[in-house]
Amino acid sequence: MAPPTAELSHLPKADGSANFAFGGYTITAAVNGPVEAQRRDENPFEALVDVNVRPAAGVGGTAERQLEAILQPALRHLIPVRNFPRCVIQVTLQVMEVPENAYVNTKVLQPRLNLGIIPALLHASILGLLTATIPLKTVASATCLAITNDDESTVKVDPTPAEIDQARSVHVLGFTASRDLLLAESEGSFSAEEWDKVLQTAEKVCCRSQEAEDDAEMGGYGAESENVQQFMRSVLEAKAAEGLHWR
Amino acid sequence: MAPEVGLSRSTFAKLSPHPYLLANLEPSDDSVPPARSNGRAPFEVRTPTVNLSSLSHAHGSALVRTGDTTVICGIRGETILTDHIPNFRASNTQTELADYDLLVPNIELATGSAPQFLPGGPPTTLAQTLSTRIYSLLHSSKLLRAEDLRIWHKRPAEAPIPVDEEEEGGNEQQEGEETVVAYWVLYIDLFFISFDGNPFDAAWAATVAALRDTKLPQARYDPDREMIICSRKDPRPLTVETMPIACTAVIFTGKETKDQAPDGKFWMLADPDTLEESLCNETVTIVIDCSGGSRRILSISKHGGTVMSAKLLGSKEFLDWASKRWEGLASAITGSR
Repeated sequence: MAPPTAELSHLPKADGSANFAFGGYTITAAVNGPVEAQRRDENPFEALVDVNVRPAAGVGGTAERQLEAILQPALRHLIPVRNFPRCVIQVTLQVMEVPENAYVNTKVLQPRLNLGIIPALLHASILGLLTATIPLKTVASATCLAITNDDESTVKVDPTPAEIDQARSVHVLGFTASRDLLLAESEGSFSAEEWDKVLQTAEKVCCRSQEAEDDAEMGGYGAESENVQQFMRSVLEAKAAEGLHWR
Repeated sequence: MAPEVGLSRSTFAKLSPHPYLLANLEPSDDSVPPARSNGRAPFEVRTPTVNLSSLSHAHGSALVRTGDTTVICGIRGETILTDHIPNFRASNTQTELADYDLLVPNIELATGSAPQFLPGGPPTTLAQTLSTRIYSLLHSSKLLRAEDLRIWHKRPAEAPIPVDEEEEGGNEQQEGEETVVAYWVLYIDLFFISFDGNPFDAAWAATVAALRDTKLPQARYDPDREMIICSRKDPRPLTVETMPIACTAVIFTGKETKDQAPDGKFWMLADPDTLEESLCNETVTIVIDCSGGSRRILSISKHGGTVMSAKLLGSKEFLDWASKRWEGLASAITGSR
């Protein structure tokens, strides 16, 4: 699978923006804030985090609301909302590209939750928040796992949409930089042992290579999927270096 | 108990619910057992009551009540001819339910069920999120079988036009092959009569109970009129073998303003009410099925915080709690007749 790519601050009018592409998904995030909240939404103690997900085609439906409901608490946990009372931080996520699945006849309006898109949405919104220079308590990364339909339960990291369709169970897990489980969403049918295995694999995928010695032993666990937290750091370092080039 | 000074209990509860809940969970007096503001122990759930077939015009219905959350689910079957399905493929026998949208859940949060639901306006985000969760779980849990929703029709043998007498005897009557001519579409309508927290558990339990109660009429295809004719005689129940049950809990950290310290205390409050939901950021929902002896997890979702660690989420205590909750709700569903 191709390594993730990102483009930062490419929208001139937004406070922060990022384009994140991985695994066939391309997401553009535009972040505005902290700006004053409307009177009816404002919270005198903390900032409101407003997440909007727009699909690649058509208008957002119930599945997009569900994606927003998954992302909003995660982002709200990362942003120190108490530092910005009466404010709103708006994160708009436009899906630019979704991977094609030749095996299914695609409907424009998908009423079912698409788990595979959640990691890309989360990564794009974190990059957007960082370029908007909104302070964050920590960063997070997420990964999608699937238990394939074989006899022995093998955990597949970053499955394709066709593999997700065929899988016995699909899981999305997000971890913060300090290895805490931030979000979990899974569907399908699985046992407690498989769940344990999924948790361990996801933690290794998300938090891998924070310690250098981990790298070698992790070779078996989806070595093809790059560590996204590391990737976000390197993209932002490159952007900062570019910004300070005149010195 | 300390003598009451200044504020009465109820005033304290209204003015600052967060410290009130904390004070209840962490009583200063050791003789008082820790409890929540609503009097329940942290792991205690509200006793569910289920009433089946309350609606006379639906094919199946269930009313589920847990505390002050009451939801009624009505299921109505409608037929659709395969000719009217644009993307119909006769060879598709795996993904009919999703491809042809044969399950249509909808959730309505009634005005007056809780103060925050106002009349008019589009469906709230909560209603939309709930309906997606029900829809996704209906498909991912494979609760229903597509066989139950197919309507078959055996095309009569095409009688050849009799040309003359002797040829008719020679031609064997060809058996027409049996094909799917139509499907049942199940409209699953959930209506919240009263809303006091934990909507998903109640809504899902009502859906499962109503589907188990659903009996579809006998349907046959009338080739002359090209429509489906139903008869009320001996309706056929749906095959619902599994019994997935959703169990929700919220995590109360006891700190309103600051972030949770790594070793900080926290309480898992099972089956939260509206007040507790408003005081907690982190929620965890597990959908579990213990029918048939083995324990299968059908969905886990956890949002809004990091207190519920990966270790805790995979722990035996957590799964045992969910199994216990499963027993309570499953017996309420099967026991009500």
